[in-house]
Amino acid sequence: MSKRIVVNPLTRISGFMEVDVKVENGQVVDAQTKGNMFRGFEQMLMGRSPFDAVYFTQRICGICSAAHSMASSLALEDALNIEPMEQGRYLRDIIHCCEFLQNHIRHFYQYTLPDFVKIEQNPLFQADHTDFRVPAAATAQLSRHYFESLTISRRCHEMLAILGGKAPHNHGVFVGGVTTKATAEVVAGLSSILTEVTAFIEEKMVPDVYEIARYYPEYYRLGGGYGNLMTYGAFDRYRELGTLYVDPLVWTRDGKEPFDERKITENIDRAWYRGAKNTYEPDEEMPEPDRKKASAYSFVKAPRYDGLPMEVGPLARLILSGDYTNGVSAMDRTIARAIEALKIAGIMKTLLGELIPDTDVQAEYTLPETTAQGRGLTDTTRGGLGHWLKLKDRKLSFYQIITPSTWDFSPADDRGFRGVGEEALMGTPVQNPDEPVEIGRILRSFDPCMSCATHVSVSGKPVKTIRVF
Amino acid sequence: MRGNQGILPPEPMTNDAVAERLVRAARRSKDMGRFQKQNLVYLELNGCSGNIISLLNGRNPDFAYMVNDMVNLRYSNSLMAAEGAQATEKLFEAMNEPFILAVEGAVSLRDEGMYNVIGMHNGSPLTGLEAARMLGEKADTILAVGACATHGGVSAARPNPSESVGLQSVLPDRELIKLPGCPVNPRWFLGTLAHIVLYGKPDTDSLGRPLMFYSTLIHDRCPRRPFFDRGIFAEKLGDPTCLFKLGCRGPVTRTDCPTKEWNSGVNWPIGANTPCIGCAQFGFPDAMEPFISYDTTRVVEDE
Repeated sequence: MSKRIVVNPLTRISGFMEVDVKVENGQVVDAQTKGNMFRGFEQMLMGRSPFDAVYFTQRICGICSAAHSMASSLALEDALNIEPMEQGRYLRDIIHCCEFLQNHIRHFYQYTLPDFVKIEQNPLFQADHTDFRVPAAATAQLSRHYFESLTISRRCHEMLAILGGKAPHNHGVFVGGVTTKATAEVVAGLSSILTEVTAFIEEKMVPDVYEIARYYPEYYRLGGGYGNLMTYGAFDRYRELGTLYVDPLVWTRDGKEPFDERKITENIDRAWYRGAKNTYEPDEEMPEPDRKKASAYSFVKAPRYDGLPMEVGPLARLILSGDYTNGVSAMDRTIARAIEALKIAGIMKTLLGELIPDTDVQAEYTLPETTAQGRGLTDTTRGGLGHWLKLKDRKLSFYQIITPSTWDFSPADDRGFRGVGEEALMGTPVQNPDEPVEIGRILRSFDPCMSCATHVSVSGKPVKTIRVF
Repeated sequence: MRGNQGILPPEPMTNDAVAERLVRAARRSKDMGRFQKQNLVYLELNGCSGNIISLLNGRNPDFAYMVNDMVNLRYSNSLMAAEGAQATEKLFEAMNEPFILAVEGAVSLRDEGMYNVIGMHNGSPLTGLEAARMLGEKADTILAVGACATHGGVSAARPNPSESVGLQSVLPDRELIKLPGCPVNPRWFLGTLAHIVLYGKPDTDSLGRPLMFYSTLIHDRCPRRPFFDRGIFAEKLGDPTCLFKLGCRGPVTRTDCPTKEWNSGVNWPIGANTPCIGCAQFGFPDAMEPFISYDTTRVVEDE
C-alpha cells in the first residue's frame, strides 16, 4: 500500500518549503524537499559596488542576516588582500555570537516547541495533530517559557545592535571587522545582557530541550540520515586565543579529516537552473533559473563535498569539536542547538574579555584597478556558509553563494544521492498519514532557511540509496 | 476619535513615549470593554522574512501583547503551529470573517507567480501572486510591511530575476498603508496596528505612509547635523562625524530613526558610524546605491 504525502507549506521555518514523501507499509520510502522561492541574489549583485555586498547580501535572510555580512566581508578581505586586526575579528565575531544566540533561542521556542507542546489557547497555536505527550504542569511551564524567550531573543538582537547599529540587517560588520569601537559602556552593556541571556539558556532552554526529549525518545532514532558531517570552522584559529570552538573538519566513513574547500562542487541536475555545466566549482559558473526544467523539482541547488552530501549545523560542529558524542538524529540535532547556545555564550564572554577599548579598526579601502577574486567561508548558525566573488573595473562581476540550508536541503544529484534532509526522512514510520507530524519534526531539527528555493512534483527515476556512514 | 493624539512629529517625548501611550490607550480601551480583538492575517511572500523577525523584537507593545491582547493572529508561515494543508485551510477560513491583512515580501510575477509558491490548495500550488490578490480583495485594511511589499525592495532589485513587484501593483484599486523599511522597525508596524485597532486608520502622507513615523527627514533631526553644518565629514566608516560624504541617505529618507533608533532604542546605523542607506525610502535599494562611497564629492571620470 503506497501513499503520497505532501506538506506545503512546511511552516515554522524561514522561507517556503514543500515536502513530498512516499509512504509504503507505514514507512517513508522516498522523499523530496523542495525550495519554493527564488529571488536571484547572484544575478542582482553583478555590476554593483563591491562594498555594497556586505549590506545587500544580508537581505537574503531575515533571521541570519549577520551571517551573510560575515561571509561577504571575509570574501572582500580576501579579494582586497586586507588582513583585519585581531581586535576587528573579535568584535565581528561577537556580533556573530549575538546572532547565534538570537537564532537558536527563536528556533527552539518559536519554531520547534509547537511541534511537541500544545501552547496555551490562541488561534496561532491551533495544531492539527494529537500527539502531545508532555504533562499539563510541564506544558504550562514550557508555554510560559515560549513567551519569556521572546524577551531573551530580543535582548540578543539588542546586543547585536549595540555593536551593529540595528538587527536584522546590521551595519556594523564590514571589511576590517566592525565600524564601532569597544568602549567601557559597550563592554559592560553587552556583558550585562549576556549574563541575563546565559542564565536563561542554562536554567531554562537546556532543561526544556531535555524535557521534550524525555517524552519523545523515539526521535533519538529518527531523522539520522547519512551521518556525513562538515564544518568550515567556527570561532577558530585566532592568533593568540587559538580555536575557541571548532576547526574546519569533515567526517565521512573514512573518518575525520581536515576540510578542503577545493572539494566543493555544486550540481543542478534536479534543480530549476540551466548552465553550461551540470556540475561546477563555486567560482566557475553561475547558472540561470529555469522554472520550466522538467527533470527538476527545487530551486535549491545540490552542493557536494568530494561528491558527497554533507550535513552541516550545530550537531555537526559539536560532534566534530568533540563536545557531543550521543549520535546523529532529529533529537540530537535539537539538543545540540541548545548546548551550542550555551557554548557560544561562553565564547562571547571570552571574546569580550579580550577587547582593548577604543580601538579603531576601520580604514579607507581602495578597489583594485584590474581584476580580483576572493572567497569567504565561515560556519554560521545553520552551518557552513560560502560567498565567492570576482571584481572587475571596481564592480562585482561574479557572485556565488552556497548557504548551509543548501547543504542540508539540496535535491538529489546526478549520481543518485538524495539531499541530506531527504535522506533523514527515509525509513521514518508515519503513524497517521493524515497527520504526518514526524516529517515536520525531523526537518525542523535542521533549522531550514529556504532563502533561495523551489517546487513541482516530478515522478523521478528510482534513487539508489548509498549509505556512507 | 482618531488621528491627532498629540503624537504627530516632532515628538516631544522620550524614546518610548509614543509606544507606551498607545499601549496605555489600548489597555484602557480594552478595560472599558470597547476594544474588539480583530483578526490579523500575516502573509509572507517573496522576501527574507526579516520583517516578522523584526516584529518579534518589538517592545511596548511586544509580540506577546500583540497576539494575546491586540489581535487574533490567524495565519503566519513563520509562527503558526499548523502546517501543510491544514495551514492553508486556516488561511482560507480567515477570509470568512473581517480581517486586517499584513503582507511582507514582494509579489513575484514570473511564470504566473511560480517563483514564489507559499502553499498548496486543493492539490494545486498556491502562488504568492494568487494569495495577494485573493486576500487583498477581501481584507478590511491592508498593511504593506517592509521595502519588498511597499515597492518591490531588494526582491525586485535589478535585473529583477523573479519579476517581483510591490503589493500595490497587483492591488491597484486598494488603499494600502505602506510601512517601508528593510526591515520595518517593529515600532512602525506595532504602532500602526495599534492605531488601526484603537482608532482606525492613521493619518498618512500622499504615498500611504503613516505620518506619525515617516514625516520627518533623518537629516533634519540627525544628532550629527552640527558636523554637517560645520563641514566636518567622516572619511571612513567608524568616524564619529557626519557621514554625508560616505553616501549617507539621511537627507532623502523620512523616518524617526534619529530620535527612536532601533532594537529598543539601543542604537541605529548612524550611531554605528555608518551611513544611512535609505532602506525606508521608496526606490531602495537601486535608487540608494552605492551604499558606501569613499567621498561622494570626489570627481569620478567614467560614471
